[in-house]
Amino acid sequence: MTTDTLHPLAADYLERLRRAGRDLPAGRRRELLAEIQGHLSEAIEPGASDAQALTVLDRLGEPEAIIAAEMPPRDEPPNRRGVAEWAAIILLPFGGFIFGVGWLVGLILLWSSRAWTTRDKWIGTLVIPGGLATALFVALIAGGTTTNRYCSGFPGGVQHCTNAGGSSTGSTVLGTAVFVVLVLAPLVTAIYLARRAGRPRSL
Amino acid sequence: MAPSIRDTAISQLRRGVLEFCVLALLREGERYSYELVRALGDADGLVTTEGTLYPMLGRLRREGVVETTWRESPSGPPRRYYRLTPDGQSVLDGFVIEWTRFRDSVNTLLGNGVLK
Repeated sequence: MTTDTLHPLAADYLERLRRAGRDLPAGRRRELLAEIQGHLSEAIEPGASDAQALTVLDRLGEPEAIIAAEMPPRDEPPNRRGVAEWAAIILLPFGGFIFGVGWLVGLILLWSSRAWTTRDKWIGTLVIPGGLATALFVALIAGGTTTNRYCSGFPGGVQHCTNAGGSSTGSTVLGTAVFVVLVLAPLVTAIYLARRAGRPRSL
Repeated sequence: MAPSIRDTAISQLRRGVLEFCVLALLREGERYSYELVRALGDADGLVTTEGTLYPMLGRLRREGVVETTWRESPSGPPRRYYRLTPDGQSVLDGFVIEWTRFRDSVNTLLGNGVLK
């Protein structure tokens, strides 16, 4: 393939295309380079000005864009939920009960999957860290504070005791509401993730 | 920043119809790659980067809707001539029917007042 008859700017462009296309299968790359070289030698007359050559190159577009169009479309998200996606959907709410690690495994699966957008992944991560185990943990702590009187102070010294909770129906209602939210949120998120997995999106 | 829904929709529309436009250009007989690319590039609003048409021509070849032969050019490197295969012809005929329905429906929905 000789490029010495090409305009210097065109030869330069072809070289950029050659470098951008180094990951293409050899046959495809050779074919594409031959076609573009043919285009350049037809479109740019011998002795054309730099401005004329640049106009032709502008119309062709960036070499990287041409290579991207030639690449097989491997960046498309999978259209279906695979085993890893289902595992993430189940482990995020329930995995916390497996010594807490299950939730972390779910989190790793969530972020390594291409079935969700970054926004979905953040929703899956933040609502709610730990999943249902967090609701149980919070309920146990809150349960403890409503039945026990908390005392502080030095042993043998003056003791300050306070009734930590359960003194008003307001805080019980609030506590129940928080608990319901903590239980529902991970479940709703799991359903949301199941529905969103593999949705086509613009890249 | 993610491209707006308008930009992606328009570029997908373009991409969707371009392959059929190539087939339509070949209905009258064979043409070589540069002629095809220039004809599409000169059509208003159809192509933004001519270079990306070459990978598309390659896909059409692999799909078997066009076939090609290399011929010497009076000047410069040899040219690759494209022509429709019988398969390509029937794909094109099918598209013309679908496109006409699609175009009429969209025009109706967009409103004749706007499009006159």
